[in-house]
Amino acid sequence: MNKVKGIRFALFLAAAAVSFSLVPSIEGPARAADQAENVPPAKTPTPKDPGADSYAQHCAICHGDQRQGILPGFPPLLGITHQMTDDKITDLIHTGKGRMPGFPSLQNGELTALMHFLTSAEPAPQLAANGGARTSLSAAGESLFLQNCAFCHGRDAEGGETGPDLTESRLVRRDRTGDDIAKVIHEGRPDNKMPAFNFSTQEIRGIIAFIHEREAEAVSRPGGRRGVSVADLQTGNVDAGKRYFNGPGGCVKCHAPSGDLAGVASRYEGLELEERMLFPRDTTSHVTVTLPSGKELSGSLAYLDEFTVAMRDSSGVYHSWAASRVRYKVHAPVEAHVDLFPKYTDADIHNLMAYLQTLH
Amino acid sequence: MKFLNDRLLFLFAALFVSLSSAPLLAAQDLENAQLVHPTADSWPTYHGDYSGRRHVHFAQITPQNVGDLSLAWAYQTNQAAAIKSSPLLVDGIIYFTVPDNIWAVDARSGHMIWHYTRPSKGEHIGQRGVAIYKSWLFFATPDTHLISLNAKDGSVRWDKVIADTSKGYWSTMAPLVVKNHVIVGVGGDLDNIPGLLRSFDPDTGALQWEWDATPPASTPNATTGGMTWITGTYDPELNLLYWGTGNPTPVLNGKTRPGTDLYTCSIVAIDPDTGKLAWGFSASPHDTHDWDAVEIPVLVDGKFHGEPHKMLMQASRNGYFFVLDRTNGKSLLTTPYGPVNWALGIDKEGHPIPNPDKEPAPDGRLIAPDEGGLTNYRSPSFDPATGLFIVDAHPSYSLYFAKPADGAYGWAGADYGLWGKGVIDAIDYQTGKIRWTHDVGEGGSGAGVMTTDSGLAFTGDGHGNLLALETSTGKTLWHVGTGSPMQSSPISYELDGRQYILSSSGGVLFAWALPENRVHARTSTAAGH
Repeated sequence: MNKVKGIRFALFLAAAAVSFSLVPSIEGPARAADQAENVPPAKTPTPKDPGADSYAQHCAICHGDQRQGILPGFPPLLGITHQMTDDKITDLIHTGKGRMPGFPSLQNGELTALMHFLTSAEPAPQLAANGGARTSLSAAGESLFLQNCAFCHGRDAEGGETGPDLTESRLVRRDRTGDDIAKVIHEGRPDNKMPAFNFSTQEIRGIIAFIHEREAEAVSRPGGRRGVSVADLQTGNVDAGKRYFNGPGGCVKCHAPSGDLAGVASRYEGLELEERMLFPRDTTSHVTVTLPSGKELSGSLAYLDEFTVAMRDSSGVYHSWAASRVRYKVHAPVEAHVDLFPKYTDADIHNLMAYLQTLH
Repeated sequence: MKFLNDRLLFLFAALFVSLSSAPLLAAQDLENAQLVHPTADSWPTYHGDYSGRRHVHFAQITPQNVGDLSLAWAYQTNQAAAIKSSPLLVDGIIYFTVPDNIWAVDARSGHMIWHYTRPSKGEHIGQRGVAIYKSWLFFATPDTHLISLNAKDGSVRWDKVIADTSKGYWSTMAPLVVKNHVIVGVGGDLDNIPGLLRSFDPDTGALQWEWDATPPASTPNATTGGMTWITGTYDPELNLLYWGTGNPTPVLNGKTRPGTDLYTCSIVAIDPDTGKLAWGFSASPHDTHDWDAVEIPVLVDGKFHGEPHKMLMQASRNGYFFVLDRTNGKSLLTTPYGPVNWALGIDKEGHPIPNPDKEPAPDGRLIAPDEGGLTNYRSPSFDPATGLFIVDAHPSYSLYFAKPADGAYGWAGADYGLWGKGVIDAIDYQTGKIRWTHDVGEGGSGAGVMTTDSGLAFTGDGHGNLLALETSTGKTLWHVGTGSPMQSSPISYELDGRQYILSSSGGVLFAWALPENRVHARTSTAAGH
C-alpha cells in the first residue's frame, strides 16, 4: 500500500467515524460506510444497507436499480435533493402522485434508511487538484463547485468569468465557521448578479470545505501569487494623485482627507480600496417625494423602478408609491463616481490610489 | 404479497404509459419548409425563423389594447435553475429547458405533457433550448452530448458526443436544424482548447462535418478558443450559415497568441452541407477581455444608404454595432453603441483596432464595457417598419488585471466589474445612431427583445418587470412584475385566433394574451414570421 492510499484510508475511517457519530438514529456500521462513499477510491457498495434493500424492494422496479429512472415513464431519482426537500420526498413516498403508488406503511427505521439512501450523493469524480489527500467533504464539494460555481469563480476558485477570486475574498478569509459563505450561497448576491442556490446543509459544507482547501493551497503557494495583491497597486504617484483629488477629479466636492476619508487606508487596502475608490457599492441615496396633497416626505431611497418609488423615513418605516402618482427627486451623490469613468486615464487611477494609501 | 402488488402496479403503469403516448391524431412531422417559412402557430427554431430578427407579423396585440394584456397561464418548473431558454412551439406543444431538463407543455393551457431529466457532470451555467426536425428533438447537455428524443414522449432515440467534456467542453445551446443537418456548438473558457461546430445527421446521429474555429491546442504562436455557444442564423438563398465565435484562450493574456486571432471573436459564414468556411470577419481581432462575438447575427434584406443589400447586423459584446454585406463579409458600418474605451479606432475593413495599452496589466486597466459586455447572449430584435435594431445594452466599467504569475492557461488574469446599468437601445442601422434609449435599471436587465408588426417591443427590466414598449419611441405601454428579471428572450405565437406572448422569470414560464372574451374567434390571417 502506498503512502497516498494509506492517508486516504485513514481519512476514510475518520470520515466514517464522524458521520456515524453525527447520525445516531441510523443503525449499523453499513450506514457509516455509505456516508463516506465520496471517498475515492475506497467506495464499495454495501449489500446489507437497509436503505438500499428498501429501495430495491419498493422503488427499483420503476426508478431503476441505480436510481437512473426508466424514461419516459419513470423519472431518475439521482440528484432528487436538488429538486425536492426531504419532507416533500417523504410525502411523495407516503401518498404517491399520478401513476406512482403511495407507500404509507414505510415508516420509522425503514423510512429513515430509505431516505438516506435516496439522498446520498453519487460518487464524486476523482480530481487531480492537489494530487493527494482530500477529505470526502471537500471532494464532494469540488464536484458541486465544478457544476455550479466554476463558470464564474474558476475551476480552482481563483476567479473566472465575472466571478471574483474566492481565495482572496475577505469574507472567505474571515469566515472560519462557514456561516457567512453559506448565507451568500443560499441567498445569492442580487446586487452583484450572483444567483441563490438551493443546496442542502451537507452540500454547502462540502462546497465551503472545497473553497477553504483552495484558499489554503493558494496562500501556501510561494511567490507568483495569482490574483491582485497590494504590491501590484503601487505604481502611482502620490503628488499627482493629490493634485487629481483636489483638481480635475473633483473629489473635494464631497470628500475630505481629514474628514470622511481619515484613516481610509487603515480600513481598506489593495483591490478593495481601489474598487471602493472607483465606485462604492454600499452608499445610500436620498429621495424627496411630493404627494398629490402637496405634502413632502424625504428619506433614504429604498426602491426605484419605472413604476414604483419607495423610501425609508427617519424612523425606519418603509413607504411606497406608484411613481405616476407622486413627484419625486432622487439625490444620489455616488453618481459623481459614474461621471468620472469616461474621464479617467489609467494613470489618474493609479495616482489617486497612491494618494489614498497615504491616508492612514 | 407486497411484491405482487408492486408488480401489478407496474403493469398498470406501463399500460398507462403506452395508452398516453398512443397518438390520437397523427401529429404532422415538421418539414423543412416550415423551418424556412414558419407558420403563425409555431416557433420551430431558437430564433423563431432563420433570420434571427425575432420579429413577428402578428397584430392582434396592439399599442391600443396592450394595456389589457393578462396572464393566460404560468408553468412552474419548481427548480432553482433560471430559465434561459427560448421555447420552441410545434403542433400546439411548447418545449423548453434548463440544464439537464426538458419540459413539453401544452401551449393552450400550460399543463405538462412530459418532463425529461438527465443528471450530468459538466458546466451547468445555462441551457438555451432544443431544436426539432420531423418529430425529433435535439438537446445539448452540460457534459457535451447531443441527445435526440421523441417529441411525443421524451424518450431517448440516440445520444452522441459533441466534444470531450473531460478536456473542458460543455454545451448550452439550442442546436440549429438546416436541411438534413443538426448543427451544434460548444462552450469552454477554462482551458486552452479550440472551439468547434459539428453537424450531425438528424436521423442516425452520424457526424457529417466539423469546423474548427482555431488550430489544435499547442500549435506554436496560435490561439485556441472561439467557442460557438449561441445558435446561428441561416440564409437559404445563399445557403450560408452565420455563426458567432467566442473569445480566444488564454483569455486575458494575449502574449502567446500575437496578432489577429482567427477565427475567435468573429462572425463566420459556413456552408451547411460541407462545413467549409466562406468568409470570416473579426469583431475583436485580438481580444483580451472575453468579449465573445456570439451575439445573434441578424439577417436583414433592405437598403443601406440607398443601395439594396443582403445585410448581417450584430450588436457585439465588445461594444460595436456591425453591419456587413453577408454575401462576402465586407463591412458596411462599424460604430460603438455605448461607452467603449479599448480601441484606437476602426481600420478600413471595419475592424476595431485594439489599443495595446488597454490589455489587462499588473496594476489594472479601466475598461468599458465590462466583461459581460455591452450586450450578451439574449436576442436583439430588428423591426422592419422603423428600421430599428433594438438591443438590451449594458453601459459599464471594469478593472482588468494580468501579470506573469497568472500564466498562459485558461483565464490567465482577473477582472472586476465596477459599475453598470441596463438600457434598451434602439439603433438606426443606417447610421448606428441611437434613436431612443430606455433605462431598465442599475446592474442591467438581461432580457432579450421581440418586436411585432403592430409596433410593440417586448422586453424586461432589471427589477423583474416584463415591459411592452412602443417600438418607434421606446415609451412603456404595459408592464407586469414577474418577481425576477427575465433571463431569456420573449417569443410569440397565435393559436385558435389568440396571440400569446411567452416570457420567463426564474423557474416560471408565463403566457400572456388578451382576455379570451375580448378576442373574437377568427381565422388566423397571419402570414407567419
